[in-house]
Amino acid sequence: MSEPLVLKLQVKPLDFLAAGETAAHFKETLKSLGLPPDICRKAAIVVYEAEMNMVIHGGGGVMCLQVEEDKVTIISKDEGPGIENLELAMKEGYSSAPDFIRELGFGAGMGLPNIKKNSDELHIDTAPRKGTKLRAVIYLDKRR
Amino acid sequence: MAHGVKIAESSCRGCVNCIKSCPTEAMRVIEGKIRILSEICISCGECLRRCPHRALLPEDDDWDYILSKRPMALATDPCFCAQFSWPPMPSLTASALSELGFEPIFEEYEAAYDVAAIAVARAIQNSPEITKPLISTYCPAVVRLIQIKFHELIPHLARVENPLETSIDLWRARTKKREPVALVSPCPARIAMVRSPVGRDFSSAEFVISTSKLAREVLIGTGDPSKKVTIDSSTETPRWIAWAKTGGESMHVRAFSDQPVRTLEVDGLRNVINLFQELELGKLRGIDYIEARACDLGCIGGIGNAESRFLSRIKIDNVKMSFNITEQYQKQLEALYQAKVWILRDEIVPIEQMPLGEDLVKAMEKLKQLHAVYAELPHLDCGTCGRPSCRVMAEDIVRGEGSLDDCIFRLKARIADLSREIYELSKRLVHTMTPEGK
Repeated sequence: MSEPLVLKLQVKPLDFLAAGETAAHFKETLKSLGLPPDICRKAAIVVYEAEMNMVIHGGGGVMCLQVEEDKVTIISKDEGPGIENLELAMKEGYSSAPDFIRELGFGAGMGLPNIKKNSDELHIDTAPRKGTKLRAVIYLDKRR
Repeated sequence: MAHGVKIAESSCRGCVNCIKSCPTEAMRVIEGKIRILSEICISCGECLRRCPHRALLPEDDDWDYILSKRPMALATDPCFCAQFSWPPMPSLTASALSELGFEPIFEEYEAAYDVAAIAVARAIQNSPEITKPLISTYCPAVVRLIQIKFHELIPHLARVENPLETSIDLWRARTKKREPVALVSPCPARIAMVRSPVGRDFSSAEFVISTSKLAREVLIGTGDPSKKVTIDSSTETPRWIAWAKTGGESMHVRAFSDQPVRTLEVDGLRNVINLFQELELGKLRGIDYIEARACDLGCIGGIGNAESRFLSRIKIDNVKMSFNITEQYQKQLEALYQAKVWILRDEIVPIEQMPLGEDLVKAMEKLKQLHAVYAELPHLDCGTCGRPSCRVMAEDIVRGEGSLDDCIFRLKARIADLSREIYELSKRLVHTMTPEGK
């Protein structure tokens, strides 16, 4: 087993112009490794939604991509307000985004459900005022 | 693989203006001359727009040869009709072309474009939600962009033949003529469509020439045909003319669809790329069809045109066209649809870019090296190394095609280090010397 490949990028808060860049960059990286398109797509969606969550709610944070022989792991970590009610946040259409963000076309309440749909494992470690750590795993070969 | 761009070596000064404009990073400057990585070139023509020395040209056929060869049938892109001071009516253009001794094949266009519009409308109706929105295959640069950079979008491409090709097929079938056909192209992408078509083995056209060359010949060779051919203000222009500008195809498809179709039109390569990125993230729900064109304002914005794209657009906007068809003609179209004259025979396949290593472990090793090399570079993307960015340079280096010393900043730093070392060495005393120097 070789050392995992780790990439880390800073995500700035409320920077809607740059939002999505992390996802695009990570996706290019995964493509250059020759990973299958559906893996790249799933990973990009997970990164994008996690990135948007940090941009909108988390006050920015760190996005980390980890590639190993059998899986791709995405870890996002912020020092934001945390998620009040995780069960509710996982429901499609539930959103706690403020109005001005919805006016920008974001905050449709699809973020976490989308992450769940596109990953094989999802762990969220959060508490009010303690920030949020999200860890999503996508396996390269599901048969294993 | 043949592409639509030709390099005029003697004009190329090795400046790096063009390499930055390439959306697929397919250009390098090597030994003072531009090189195009043809396997990832999409023939969009952006580099032609950027080159200040006219060292990049459309790779069309020799104009003098085309001009000397008769008989020669011409299949001009719809935007050709908008190149002149007279209204963009095919009857006028045809009269001018006939005067030059060419045989325009405009008669087949109506059926070919109509059946293409029907085929797209039905493809949308029959498409499962997962492959919606469908994407138009009319712009060859967009198709190739998807083949190279947006593999996930390949199932979205509507498998409908370019109506220009269909027109030639229909013309041959009807007239049984064997004379060669030259496609008149507004851009390098249509040239590439003839040279290395996607979805079929051979183009139906034998030759391909640029719109600007033929337009110039018409302008110097014939008078204004509107003085010879009678048109009045009520004369309608055929529907297919609208395909020359962005939105024309969508309009046609909407008019020929039994159900409401939500179309989205986008032009200009930067916008197209943005849109495809959003589409890959699944952000365009509710859209049925995307008409994407590499050039601003659509085909009238192609680099091979003679007329200002802004004027072309006004001309097309100002003509009358109708989408009503007779029942009898509807039956003819249905027969053509059933005969599948519109279908793109072969599947459109992704063009794989070489991964960094042959398996994931090796690729990961290479990627780590790539990051280490990248960290050594100045991240100015100045292009002086002949590559579009420091990242591409790092990639070339780990693939074994270049060295860190190709970077002028790295080289300067190394020379500085070296001269410092030489200076230090020069101060070292030889045993026969005294500290005073002699």
